[in-house]
Amino acid sequence: MSRRRRRRTIERIIEMEITPMIDVVFLLIIFFMTTAQFARMTRADVELPREAGEQDEAPEEAGLVVNVMADGSIIVNGDPVSLDTLASLVRIEARAAGGAEHARVLLRADRSADTAHLNRIVTRLRELDIGAARVATEVPR
Amino acid sequence: MARRRRRARPPARITLNLASMIDVTFLLLIYFMVTTVLAPPEDRLSPTIQTRQDQTSSTAPDFQPQVVRVERRDGRPVYVLGSRVLADRAELAQALRGLPRDEGVFIQVFDRLPVEFAVAAVQTARDAGFERVTYVPGE
Repeated sequence: MSRRRRRRTIERIIEMEITPMIDVVFLLIIFFMTTAQFARMTRADVELPREAGEQDEAPEEAGLVVNVMADGSIIVNGDPVSLDTLASLVRIEARAAGGAEHARVLLRADRSADTAHLNRIVTRLRELDIGAARVATEVPR
Repeated sequence: MARRRRRARPPARITLNLASMIDVTFLLLIYFMVTTVLAPPEDRLSPTIQTRQDQTSSTAPDFQPQVVRVERRDGRPVYVLGSRVLADRAELAQALRGLPRDEGVFIQVFDRLPVEFAVAAVQTARDAGFERVTYVPGE
């Protein structure tokens, strides 16, 4: 009797349902692949000034992000733009925000860039009646 | 005869060995998890310094503005407050502590300086308690 039972148990095939696990693993792979790609696409390679910034304020969405590279070139949404093109982009942002005083501009200037490049942009923003801008910094570790 | 043959055949069972595929999949998952840097989007960067760019109040005749000039002297960047030449941000912070906060401060930044040095002046002014810090391009 006991021999028969043993044989039966040996003959049984142990099966594990792994389909949902593979689904989850594939979803995780797709997630990590896409997020890594997006981070590379949106972020310009700028070495920000190492300052604490204003930590007490809640992070605010910037309407227009202007990257000022070390060589002085201006990058907006991953594309190099001239000062005149930047001015038209700022006008669009101001129109969308409901006026120049509400326009939100974030300046991401490379720490080693010449202030002449930043001054040119600030002067142009002032000509467009943009009263305030934010300067992005990197918290030193 | 034909019926017998059909009955005698065991039902065909297709099995797929997934072990190697799972190995590869896990390796890919580990690779992407290790290499991915989850960076916050640019528009959500919290450490930012708010500056103003209007220069109108600095030209008022009955108002003596507090101006910190960021310029280059003898080949090195310095901060100039009135007649005082300040070599670094520590000296600037000390000098700013003696100024009234209500009127705000103008940071006049001249060309041919690293952005980092100019931003340090803005940060120092904010840290000193000035609510209104105005960035003015030097002329």
